[in-house]
Amino acid sequence: MAAILHEEYPVASDDYAGAGKVSSRIKELLKQMGFGPDVSRRAAIACYEAEINLIIHSDGGKVILEVSDEGVISLAFRDVGPGIPDLEKAMTPGFSTADEEARNLGFGAGMGLPNIKRVSDTFDIETSPDGTNLTLTFRGGI
Amino acid sequence: MVKKTVIEYTLDECVKCLKCVRVCPTSALSIVDNRINIDGERCINCMRCVKTCHNKGLQAHGSPLSAIQDYDYTVCMVPAAISLRFPTREEVEGVFYSIKKLGFDEVVDISGIDGAMMDETFRIADEMVTTSIITAFCPVINRLIEDSYPMLLPHLAPLKYPHETAAKMIRARLSGKVKGKVGIFNLCECGALLSIAKYPFENMQYETDHAIAMTDVIPMIQRDRHEGRIPVNLCEEGLRSSNPALIPYTPECLRADGFDKVTDVLDMAEFDLLKSFNLMYLFMCFNGCAGGNLLFGNSYISRNNLDALCEDGPGTVPEVPFDYMYTEHMLLPEKEQQNVVEKLNFFKKVNETLEQLAGLDCSACGLKTCRIMAEEIVRGNRTLGDCRILSARKDKDTETGKDEA
Repeated sequence: MAAILHEEYPVASDDYAGAGKVSSRIKELLKQMGFGPDVSRRAAIACYEAEINLIIHSDGGKVILEVSDEGVISLAFRDVGPGIPDLEKAMTPGFSTADEEARNLGFGAGMGLPNIKRVSDTFDIETSPDGTNLTLTFRGGI
Repeated sequence: MVKKTVIEYTLDECVKCLKCVRVCPTSALSIVDNRINIDGERCINCMRCVKTCHNKGLQAHGSPLSAIQDYDYTVCMVPAAISLRFPTREEVEGVFYSIKKLGFDEVVDISGIDGAMMDETFRIADEMVTTSIITAFCPVINRLIEDSYPMLLPHLAPLKYPHETAAKMIRARLSGKVKGKVGIFNLCECGALLSIAKYPFENMQYETDHAIAMTDVIPMIQRDRHEGRIPVNLCEEGLRSSNPALIPYTPECLRADGFDKVTDVLDMAEFDLLKSFNLMYLFMCFNGCAGGNLLFGNSYISRNNLDALCEDGPGTVPEVPFDYMYTEHMLLPEKEQQNVVEKLNFFKKVNETLEQLAGLDCSACGLKTCRIMAEEIVRGNRTLGDCRILSARKDKDTETGKDEA
């Protein structure tokens, strides 16, 4: 399974001004590649939520997009910390640790991770104080 | 079904300034054989190219008035958007008189249907609990969603264009009552509506027979509109439906007009960020349909005309049968389902070609962007040598080479 595309995008902590830029770029690429509406939409929604998570909660990190020649979209979100203290709680719909600043901007409703899991085909998360690795795949092939 | 653009290229002395090529949001315009070529499959009839051309080289026209002669009984429908552009009811009545004088047997105000369709849209949206609705009254936005935002297709309201509903109702009313062939004409406030009729663009699936461009008849209207009047009872809801500033306010309804705002809303909707709204009322033209690109004058004041047009008691919203309003799968993509693997291979080749191009998106080759150029090269329609920048660099290298020698 060879990669048609491999791209990495840095995401800075607290970069609210740039919020959504990486997701917009990835959404545009998925459309150009000709993925169907359903898989593109799911990947776009997950990507946006996860990108916002990096901005609000992490100390910075990157998004890695990989598309295989068989039409599998893989999105990886790697950050350098501080990790998710209670992963089980974070996976509960409505639970949020987002601060006032983020909530005032309309983020941090506590639906991020549950939503991401709902729309993705596979969902893997590992977290420690040194960083969180979130890997999602979406199957777009026939 | 082959898609056709309503926009014609007419200017022999076109200076190839590329403004239209560059402004086209769907990259439908290119220069082929020294002429502007409009790809009907890509064109969404937004008319941005028409507006941007300083030399009036691009235009949109409807059916000629001579088409009236092909029918025994003719009806001209006038939408609320056109009526809203006139400051008093007397003026609207004069306009209706002048339109009838063009040769129609009847001139029908369809602001009531416009209003009924708006009310129905709000009703559908209120019923939606888990999802939101996007209005489907603007042909440009419908095409844009179909081609560029297919992820949002399931959100489009399953309603017909109001003038199509009106045409069906008029035909039912006249059936058996008038002898001979009935012709239903729609007076259009915008270029895209010209395509929502059987003629002039041969879109035979529609109920309306002919689309007439307002700009084509304005001279006659101006000449005759003070000569007489036809009583008109405009419907307030219909008038409101044609200008975003007048759409009834509800906290769950998001209103947007103009290309940039509309695409911003669609971009956000794709990320599911507009869940708190149950309705997105969208207009491609600034100031909505009352700002239609086939109208003339100041569209900003159209909202000020509402009160005067509705005084003395406005018309009521008529009862419209459900099956006259609803449409099924109007906009499901017709494009062939191509294998993803095949598409990915094409994408890979395009990307490899793109890396060899200059990447300036200068349009000098006659195509809007380097990506479009790369696609055309992969399809075998152009070659790398057609890139002006690459050729210029090559020439320069050759010259420098000579100098050194």
